[in-house]
Amino acid sequence: MHRKLLVAGLAVAALVLAGCSSSDDTATDTTSAEATTEAAEETTEEAAEEEVTEESAPAVTMDDSNCAAPENYCVGLVTDLGKVDDKSFNQAAFEGAQLAAGEIGAFLKYVESTDPKDYMANIGQFVAKEYDTIVTVGFLMAEASAAAAAENPNINFVGVDQFQGETLPNLTGLIFAEDQAGYAAGYLAGLMTETNKVGAVLGTDTVPPVLYFGEGYRNGVMAANPEAEVTVVYHEPANAFTDPEWGAAEAKKQVTQGADIVFGAGGGTGNGALIEIAKSPESGKSVFCIGVDIDQYNTVPQAQSCLLTSAEKKLVAGTSALVLASFDGTFPGGNFVGATGLAPYHDTEDAVPAEVKTEVEGVIAGLLDGSLETGVVK
Amino acid sequence: MSSDGPAQTDLGFTDPNPTLGPKYGVVKAFAIPIVSVLLAFAVGGILIYFQGVNPFTAYRVLFESALGDSDGYLRVMQKSTPLIFTGLAVVVGLRVGLFNIGAQGQLIVAAIGAAWAGYHFDLPAVVHLPFALGFGMLCGAAWASIAGVLRAYRNVSEVITTIMLNSIAIALVDYLASRPFKEPDQPLSRTPLISDSAALATFGVIPSGFVIALIVSLFFGWFLIRTTEGFRFNTVGLNPNAARYAGISVKRTIVLAMAVSGALAGMGGAVETMGVVGRFEPAFNAGLGFDGITIALLARANPIATIPAAILVGILRTGANSLQFETGIEPEVVDVILALTLLFVAAPIVSRYIFRINAKRKSKSKGRS
Repeated sequence: MHRKLLVAGLAVAALVLAGCSSSDDTATDTTSAEATTEAAEETTEEAAEEEVTEESAPAVTMDDSNCAAPENYCVGLVTDLGKVDDKSFNQAAFEGAQLAAGEIGAFLKYVESTDPKDYMANIGQFVAKEYDTIVTVGFLMAEASAAAAAENPNINFVGVDQFQGETLPNLTGLIFAEDQAGYAAGYLAGLMTETNKVGAVLGTDTVPPVLYFGEGYRNGVMAANPEAEVTVVYHEPANAFTDPEWGAAEAKKQVTQGADIVFGAGGGTGNGALIEIAKSPESGKSVFCIGVDIDQYNTVPQAQSCLLTSAEKKLVAGTSALVLASFDGTFPGGNFVGATGLAPYHDTEDAVPAEVKTEVEGVIAGLLDGSLETGVVK
Repeated sequence: MSSDGPAQTDLGFTDPNPTLGPKYGVVKAFAIPIVSVLLAFAVGGILIYFQGVNPFTAYRVLFESALGDSDGYLRVMQKSTPLIFTGLAVVVGLRVGLFNIGAQGQLIVAAIGAAWAGYHFDLPAVVHLPFALGFGMLCGAAWASIAGVLRAYRNVSEVITTIMLNSIAIALVDYLASRPFKEPDQPLSRTPLISDSAALATFGVIPSGFVIALIVSLFFGWFLIRTTEGFRFNTVGLNPNAARYAGISVKRTIVLAMAVSGALAGMGGAVETMGVVGRFEPAFNAGLGFDGITIALLARANPIATIPAAILVGILRTGANSLQFETGIEPEVVDVILALTLLFVAAPIVSRYIFRINAKRKSKSKGRS
């Protein structure tokens, strides 16, 4: 960080000096300023890829001027209407790509989409530079990724959260077994409940992943604690993911009826449930909530006090694994089911007994190696 | 007395000051937007500079990627097309003294209307194209008319109603796209693709929607200056009391102008659906209506000037992602530049400063001769 500031400061000073010293000679001014800026640009990129460059032992590619050369490996990433620091899917996918790029000494660059009409053009910029692997984030980009992959058989595409109906050898959709993440969360809830009543407030059951989360959760609770009573409610399809008021009202209802752990899943609706639980005076003491998809301790700070964990899709590991597979020549094509599990406990670390943690870890391991079934019919 | 007339909001384009001489209007019409854009680029340049990138390099990349090849031209025209329409929508409102903040809502309501008309019916192209376009316009006009009627007959500020109608429009189209109009057997909230008979073609690198936008702009350039109705619009905008005294029905003019404004925003949404997106999908229409406000003020409520203003915004929006690809500058810098442009156009201090300098120069040259 200090290095970055220092570099930026020096670059600024150099530019200012360059500008002052030759104000009467515009030609020199421009060239010297440009040269300085090019240097500044490189250092900025270097700072951005700090992890990458410092960890990697092999010769590092510093730019994408020659991605076609076999010794230069280039990885591009296009976000889905979001920033690479959105604390959500885009960030997780970017971190995964960073991890992989660092391991193989690849050059990594990203472009953040601001308009869905630009998806193709943004992918196209990486294609034009002959990038070796292009990561596209989010199911909204599924069509653009498939079109680009069909047009460019020499480039591997990683579609994060994009289910592939048809199989292309150079396009792999990173998908997740939501029922397993839900099951693990439910298992934890089943072990943790004091009142033997747990709840879940979810987006619509007409969207399959939401249904799998919900039913996996229900089965997980029952497996851990057959005496527990599970209440799972789904929003109606319209506004299913943008109704925090409904989420909050349902969460409140469940707590009033005695539930002490509520699983909230479904965009803003689920977040509304989490935030409502966190408002309870008993939040984090005897009433808890469980988030979804990614570690929601980061994305919904208002819910930190009650957040036991999140039923997490391991996007960082999944993305990184696919970029590495693309590099190794073992790119699977079709769909790749990434690992799921639970996010760190954070503030509720001390509230969860060690034996519960161990038992839940065992369940997650069982789900991953296939020795344990969630019982959810897909 | 003036309780049912539009509020006299001075937006800086209808204040000819006789003391500054006859050339004032002309100079002001060109100088202020150009100076505002340059100032915005200068401030934007400083921001880029502090991110460690040469602003000249950044702007070169921005413009080269948008205007460097035929693909760039096509995308600039595609992006400018709905912006010309929403810019015009705001312009027509401004002429009557109404600030239509609701172009976004009118546009999305029309976009889904045109999508429905485009996929639900199976008609020959000769009928289908005008029908889908017209139905979209009708949706936009109807949506804007709610604000127009409330303004004319209940004196409810159109600024407030159009902003609120934007939120209602978002909820409405989300509902329609996720329930009755949803494409079956897939998880996304979106309508099916429109039939080929309702699709606006692209000729080479020229989208036909762009041509329609140019024609409509020219039409309104003529309409607002050369027709009786246009005269009524301008008169009501300049002074509703005088307009009433002259026998113009202020209420009727307000309702009509809002409907026309909504139809224009609606045309933008319909053309976007029929020419670029091919279906309604909520995220595809984000921000088009709000850029229209910037464009209308930059064009100083002149329908013809809307064209270059919209193209400028189109270029910036097209080049934004290449800017990030080449230099690492985040694409949002374009939003900053547009916001600064709006600020400088709207801030009277800029124009005052320019004309004070102008006046000084004039008095100097007079002194010499």
